[in-house]
Amino acid sequence: MNLAFYPGCSLEGMANDYARSIIAVFEKLDVGLVEIDDWTCCGATAAHSLSDAMSVVLPAKNLAAAEKMGLDIVSPCANCFNRLTYSRKMLSKNIYDVPWNVTGKSKVHDMTRFLAQPDMISQIKDNVLMPLKGLNLVSYYGCQMVRPPRITGFTDYENPRTMDHIAEALGANALDWSYKATCCGASIGLGRRDIQLTLSARLIQKARQTGAEAIIVSCPLCQANLDMVQTEKGSQKVPIFYFTELMRLAFEGKACSIKNFRMHLTDPGPLLRKKALID
Amino acid sequence: MIPLQNNPVGKIMIVGGGIGGIQAALDLSESGFYVYLLDKGPTVGGTMAQLDKTFPTNDCSTCILSPKLVEIAGHPNIEIMTFCELLDLEGDPGHFKAHVQQKPRYINMEKCIACGLCAEKCPKKAPDLFNTELGKRKAAYIPFPQAVPLKYALDPDYCLYLTKQKCGLCKKICPVDAVEFEQKIETFDVEVGAVILSPGFELALTQKDGEYGFGRYPNVVTSLQYERMLSATGPYEGHLRRPSDGKSPRKVAWIQCVMSRDISRNRPFCSSVCCMHAAKQAVLTRSHLPESETVIYFMDVRAHGKGFDEYVERAASGYQVQYRRSMISQLYLNPQKDNLIIETFDHHLNNTQEEEYDLVVLSSGFQPGQGWKTLADRLGVSLNPYGFACGDFDEPVSTSRPGVYVCGVIESPKDIPETVIQAGAAASEASTLLSNSRKFLKTDENKSAGEETDEGKDAEHISKVGVFVCHCGSNIASVVDIPSLLSEIEKIEGVALAEDLMFACSAETQDRIAERIKKHGINRVVIAACSPKTHEPLFRKTLKQAGLNPYLVDMANIRNQCSWVHAKDPKTATAKAMNLIRAAISRAEKLEPLTEETYEIVNNALVIGGGLAGMTAALTIAEQGFEVHLVEKTERLGGFARNLTHTLEGHSPPKLARLLEDRVRSHDRITLYLNSELSEHSGYIGAFKGTITNEQKEHEISYGAAVVASGGKAYQPMEFNCGQDDRVVTQVELAKRLQKDPQWPKQLKSIVMIQCVGSRSETFPWCSRVCCSAAVKNAIAMKEINPDIQVIILYRDLRAFGFKELYYLKARRQGTLFFRFIPEETPVVYDDGGDLIVDFTDRSSHQEFRVKPDMVVLSEGIHPVSDNEKIAGMLKLSRTPEGFFLEAHVKLAPVEFPTAGIFLAGLAHSPRFVDEAIAMAKCAAQQAVKILCRDKMKTSPTFAVVDPDLCSSCLACVRLCPFGAPFINEDGVAQIVPAKCRGCGICPSECPARAISLRHSTDDQTVSEIDALLKKASLDI
Repeated sequence: MNLAFYPGCSLEGMANDYARSIIAVFEKLDVGLVEIDDWTCCGATAAHSLSDAMSVVLPAKNLAAAEKMGLDIVSPCANCFNRLTYSRKMLSKNIYDVPWNVTGKSKVHDMTRFLAQPDMISQIKDNVLMPLKGLNLVSYYGCQMVRPPRITGFTDYENPRTMDHIAEALGANALDWSYKATCCGASIGLGRRDIQLTLSARLIQKARQTGAEAIIVSCPLCQANLDMVQTEKGSQKVPIFYFTELMRLAFEGKACSIKNFRMHLTDPGPLLRKKALID
Repeated sequence: MIPLQNNPVGKIMIVGGGIGGIQAALDLSESGFYVYLLDKGPTVGGTMAQLDKTFPTNDCSTCILSPKLVEIAGHPNIEIMTFCELLDLEGDPGHFKAHVQQKPRYINMEKCIACGLCAEKCPKKAPDLFNTELGKRKAAYIPFPQAVPLKYALDPDYCLYLTKQKCGLCKKICPVDAVEFEQKIETFDVEVGAVILSPGFELALTQKDGEYGFGRYPNVVTSLQYERMLSATGPYEGHLRRPSDGKSPRKVAWIQCVMSRDISRNRPFCSSVCCMHAAKQAVLTRSHLPESETVIYFMDVRAHGKGFDEYVERAASGYQVQYRRSMISQLYLNPQKDNLIIETFDHHLNNTQEEEYDLVVLSSGFQPGQGWKTLADRLGVSLNPYGFACGDFDEPVSTSRPGVYVCGVIESPKDIPETVIQAGAAASEASTLLSNSRKFLKTDENKSAGEETDEGKDAEHISKVGVFVCHCGSNIASVVDIPSLLSEIEKIEGVALAEDLMFACSAETQDRIAERIKKHGINRVVIAACSPKTHEPLFRKTLKQAGLNPYLVDMANIRNQCSWVHAKDPKTATAKAMNLIRAAISRAEKLEPLTEETYEIVNNALVIGGGLAGMTAALTIAEQGFEVHLVEKTERLGGFARNLTHTLEGHSPPKLARLLEDRVRSHDRITLYLNSELSEHSGYIGAFKGTITNEQKEHEISYGAAVVASGGKAYQPMEFNCGQDDRVVTQVELAKRLQKDPQWPKQLKSIVMIQCVGSRSETFPWCSRVCCSAAVKNAIAMKEINPDIQVIILYRDLRAFGFKELYYLKARRQGTLFFRFIPEETPVVYDDGGDLIVDFTDRSSHQEFRVKPDMVVLSEGIHPVSDNEKIAGMLKLSRTPEGFFLEAHVKLAPVEFPTAGIFLAGLAHSPRFVDEAIAMAKCAAQQAVKILCRDKMKTSPTFAVVDPDLCSSCLACVRLCPFGAPFINEDGVAQIVPAKCRGCGICPSECPARAISLRHSTDDQTVSEIDALLKKASLDI
């Protein structure tokens, strides 16, 4: 089985760790990723807040390309997923003129939900070389992946569980906490940095109160935000992993190098060494 | 509604056995029809049976519901069909064929004697659905102790035999061989003339939604779960605990509008009752745990019912319930203590505040239950987008399928009294439709309870008491030492027989008791078993069967009062049982045979008031074949509706008034008296006499029942320069202006509306219920004509309850501005050099505003009419301090008065909408029909009698009687009209001359009972 892979811009830049871990992980799974040729902006930056037409039309090129490939799309970035899904839904209403033919036959999957399907979970379990025993973590979904539910299709948006299921399949302890989809403040960062820092620092604090040693995410913006606040607030304690990074760690075991986490601001090394998960 | 002429079937199917279904069943069965009352569960009772207390009286819900349950259980014209669902309906009104599916109970209803052995021995536990899954019950179960029918059932999802063919213990131990594992689903057809749908509701909040962590955090519960947690029969036996650790909560929060007023959940409507039940639950929490702190988070306090604002005020000031206006978006768990954290924003401090609670209650909105949509589709009943079968404005309980009616929450979210009113209205529709097939109720069988017996002579005889002690399976026998009781009873003088019975109530036992009575010449009977409330009627019947007067039996409740409450102390339980039996024997020896009297009924009615409610009531009675005298004090019919233009939903009250007037005037069974008043009134239920006076002459009339629909009036404001400045008008005046000159809003730039004028004030504390909707309606109307007009509504709580919320939403979307004020900062309206100025403070932003509107519109409240005082005096009816009439019981008897035979409808009861007034009129009219459709009225033999030789005519009884039963007769002494007496016992206990005695509770009987009780217990086992 193949999927059309839409990496999005973040994965080529600050979320490069995420991109590399995804590619490594999918090599072990029974699913092939075929990157969409000449993919373009999903519109998550300025476009969607300025023009609804733009927000529908921009992602349409990528949707059309995937349809030509005859594949469903998988999107690792929560923002891209949201924009692609929105566009696909709105295109069916025929409001805007779109230069590409999109019928809607290619579905858009967010990566966490795709990998949390029962058969994928069993594949993940089969591939675990080194269970992440004793690693206490909480999963953080943020806003774009689960909301608004009428776009994203999440039914358990108050308490999403996809990354928890994956973490448990890897042998880690996924702790329940109340802040899975509570705002991390990234969206208000440019205008009110003080609010952004308060909100993201609170998430770190609450995660620690819950007993988590790390947070797993799927959204590059959440990752950057939660990672950065620890630098700015001067206490780098809780590594923020992309969930696929931990999959790679569990799949590759001691063969997985600390260099794979090179773009992290909060160094995961001490934690992983303490848990004897990395040399 | 016109009665069918084609010989319709005089039977009605009611789907859903909650309070709505029960009330409709009672109303119809007492109106001469046969009722099939279906419930898909093992018992009737509905949600009301699960409630702990009810607002605004804090009455115990079970205590007020149980008498109704007992009444339907024994009613000869009501067939309760449990585990039944209506599948489909063929045919036309009057001749429906209903396809019914019955799921198996696995217990034979005829055989089961509810001994409880099966549940006691059943090894399998199942989630207790009656306790909202907060506890466990057995797979063999009754949902609650007062269940009707009181028959056990097996839960097919959990019973070991039914799931795995194992166990079967219940079948082995059942003493009456009632367990039938082989029962199957059955379908059958029932011929009925009409159908009433009252399937009730379920909470919209499910664990699946995950809202506020419900189902995820142990100490987050729903409002219904909290009712069970408060209840003495609930999972914690009335000790308020929280689920996670069983500790008493110190801090409890309520979050309002969960799954209500929530567009993102596609539930934009208001569920109408949650504000009040939260207030009630908070009050009860404070009384259970005086140390506790209770906080209600809300958007608007919607206390739009009779006396509700006073209740909320009492909650806040008397019980220190804290009200915080804030819509909470999320609950956070404190993982260490399983506590919940609520985060709010404080406008004064301009920062967020965190508060931690031990327990959070989610006031969940309502939705129709599973399967309702399928049923409605099959029946052809159309629904609104949210699945409710909303009635029309002029036919509030009719559906799109003729002959099929609705009542209760399935029509729209509502509280118990409004459900009871709609149930009566639905009953009236069916009763009218099938009027020609009514079986007039005969009272012959009761005419003389013991006529053919020789009980008259008995009274002179030495009493021979027969005492029967019931084992109630093991219910009594496992605790109380019955053999010792029997040997002790035999020693008592006057006891002719002491015998034990396995089940005193089973059918074959009745024959045995009757046989013993005859054989041993017994003339007084004592049954030591359970409650007379449920079982005395049965044993009275048995006495009659044995040729004794039915009033010669007394019961000792040695189950509820001995074996149940003292289960851990058998010795004391046995001693107490002996004492109770001794007292009952003592009383029984003094019992006298009593006879029920009957009298003829006047088969027509009086309706006071010719407004929408009065005309509807008159037509409802007249269409069913009875003569009606309709009295209207003005020269025209239509009442207050004539002043209105249209409703929020776009209907026209004046048009309805004209239609009703045409029908009233052309109806040959309605005699209309315009410019007239009732000037005299006397008599009692079934036989009233009165005088109608107008300028020309007086009419002497007689009537069996009366409906008071004297209406209400609009408050005439003097506030805000109203009356002096013609730019300040009322909503009614504005609506008229809009009707006269539809283009007028185009000339206006800005308009300010002020709510709660003449309502919720110190002098008039009630909410007038309709004014928020009136303001929203006029705002929408003006915005539709001129979208650029600025409409500002200054309000205190926006009470657009139910589906009226959708219009509030529409008004906001159109750009109408809503600002909240508090009474301490009432807006100020003044003229400044020709400019109309309104100054106000917005409570949400704490900003002060000044606007220069073209008009100020005052939302004037509804006040009672002054005539109420006169009518109340003449008919001896009570009123509220505000001047509206006070009903017999705010929950379950909203259209009745303590004085039997007189009923209440419309604005005379409280401010209400047109559809609510119409429903109430139909309900009140049906209560009248219940009297008129009898040939004779029976008086209870347990009335008070005055000994004329002792009476000193002090008038104590005349003044005290709530029912107006005593009067001073021609001889100058008090006399009590048996037909009016309810046997309440006030006058006998208050009479200073001790001239009054209450039959069946005479001093003699009571004193001997007490003497026997006070004798030192001789039984020392």
